[in-house]
Amino acid sequence: MKLKVIIWVANFFGAISRVTGRGSGVMVAGRIILRLDPSAVATLAKNRRVVLVSGTNGKTTTTSLIYNALASSMKTLSNFTGANLFAGLATALSGDTKAMTAVLEVDEMVLPWAIKETRPELVVLLNLGRDQLDRLSEVRSVAQKWKDAVKDLPADCQILADADDPFVAWSAQDWSKVIWFSAGALGHIDASTCPVSGDLLLWTDGGSSYSCKCGFAKPIPEWILKDGLLSGPQEQSVEVKSLIPGNAAISNAARAIIAASLLGVPLWIGADSVSKVGSVDGRFGKLQIGETNYRLLLSKNPASWRETLTTSAMGPKTVLLAVNANTQDGKDTSWLWDVDYSLLKGREVLVTGARRVDLSARLTVQEIPHLVVENEVEASKVIGAKSADLIASYTAFHRLAKSVTRP
Amino acid sequence: MTLTIVHLLPELLGTYGDRGNVDILSWRLRQRDIAHEVLTIGVNDAVPTFADIYVLGGGEDDAQIAATEILKRNNGIKKAFESGAHIFAVCAGFQILGTIFPASGGRVIPGLGLIAVETISASERSVGEVISEPSIPIATLTGFENHGGQSRFLEELQPLGHIRHGIGNGAGSHVEGLVTDQIIATYMHGPALVRNPELADYLLSRKVGEMAPLAAPIFNELHAERVRAVHY
Repeated sequence: MKLKVIIWVANFFGAISRVTGRGSGVMVAGRIILRLDPSAVATLAKNRRVVLVSGTNGKTTTTSLIYNALASSMKTLSNFTGANLFAGLATALSGDTKAMTAVLEVDEMVLPWAIKETRPELVVLLNLGRDQLDRLSEVRSVAQKWKDAVKDLPADCQILADADDPFVAWSAQDWSKVIWFSAGALGHIDASTCPVSGDLLLWTDGGSSYSCKCGFAKPIPEWILKDGLLSGPQEQSVEVKSLIPGNAAISNAARAIIAASLLGVPLWIGADSVSKVGSVDGRFGKLQIGETNYRLLLSKNPASWRETLTTSAMGPKTVLLAVNANTQDGKDTSWLWDVDYSLLKGREVLVTGARRVDLSARLTVQEIPHLVVENEVEASKVIGAKSADLIASYTAFHRLAKSVTRP
Repeated sequence: MTLTIVHLLPELLGTYGDRGNVDILSWRLRQRDIAHEVLTIGVNDAVPTFADIYVLGGGEDDAQIAATEILKRNNGIKKAFESGAHIFAVCAGFQILGTIFPASGGRVIPGLGLIAVETISASERSVGEVISEPSIPIATLTGFENHGGQSRFLEELQPLGHIRHGIGNGAGSHVEGLVTDQIIATYMHGPALVRNPELADYLLSRKVGEMAPLAAPIFNELHAERVRAVHY
């Protein structure tokens, strides 16, 4: 069967899945495409400029920001829904045939395959931290997979990599065309030992730099984000603004501006485009349940909880936390104990989700008063007519994100 | 007397929320007004020899090896053990206490040798909920295991539990963890002492004697929910 026909068939079944309410149709369509033509992704990526974005946190947001930075200058496609596994990539690439640029968010474990199939022009490596340890295994082994995958890059491909993260630095450092970026992140919960020698990694300058006696050290960044100003080679600089709250959003915006500039979009145009993005795939979207107006926030692992709790602390006084432990959340909830919830002190806290008892036990030990509720509808009855933040783990977030009304 | 709990090398052995075990011990003592202190020992600190309970968590390969080297360096934990201290060890911590454990590239790393247990690589990683019937007089044990090693007793030893669901120590043994007079070791993350309040109190009462029961229903609820969640 010709690929065009395969895509038509796949879209047909995707539409049926969507209409019958079984799903978005993205996964169904992608699976059919790959089943009928296993090399479909390679074929569809062939004459396109491909940007791949991967990392533990910030994939969806950064991908969307890069898309926005590019879209004003060139017709671009992306996997907007965060479907970042094999099928999701196939469906995204089978979309807009006029879009000759593709920005794709890729799951950390799928990156090696995506590199081989799409032959990217740019790979953006964000960060690596503990996440879904039951599925993804330990951080070092993911970094090793990346390190091996880098060898398969096309010779002229560039990597935009985070110098602050020792695992990213280690996985990218063998490549000749790495552009190092630093947003000034401090320390790393999983990097007590050196990825090269296994000896203790020496963290200095308040956790902003690292080195090992074996010679491994933080690369010198070409692009630096400091106090909202992004500076790069040849004295280029631009102010980074974002409507998305939080520090992570600013550093992801900076990455997007650099990525777009590597594809030829002037810095100021990229900066202007990303500054207008207010909500990505339901993140920070508004949601009304009962009389309560929620702002929806995603949080899925220790690093992202830290970020989200800091951002939320500047928000409404009331906060509802929803934790599940389905496959996409990670089935082991031990990580709840790696998160410091002290920023919740003094706020009105409610907890829900399939693993609300785990979360309640965690908050009890940290002596944070809270109320356990069956679901978000019950929560709204307690909270009443006011604003609240709703911080949800992956599957809870995606269920709720469908009801987000406006950014 | 103030009970001293030592949290060993959390930067290296703390991959699976292991600090929760220390936090819950401290919390349960606090609720009962039992005087205690928690000492957190980092990679550059000397391991104290005088404390009552030492807690070791889980970690990745390199971190496990680095932790073993540090623990051997001043021999603090061994000295403390010889003078009667108790040890609670999870996963990588369990393996470190034994004679040998495996590392990447087929390496075999000598452990501290405090227990006659050797760990070798398993062909498949053991990942998932684990349920066992304890060999000590406490309720059914629940945890989440995630390890690539299998641990074999080299002499007759008392396991912590008999497997009802999951793998545990593996090597065809159908048992989980280990109990000696001074050591409780397990593959249960969770953290184990949060999910199993009776195990936490069992560990504490070995040092402080019989304690008043604690009304803390959330932990009993968590225990019951996790046992119920697994069909075995």
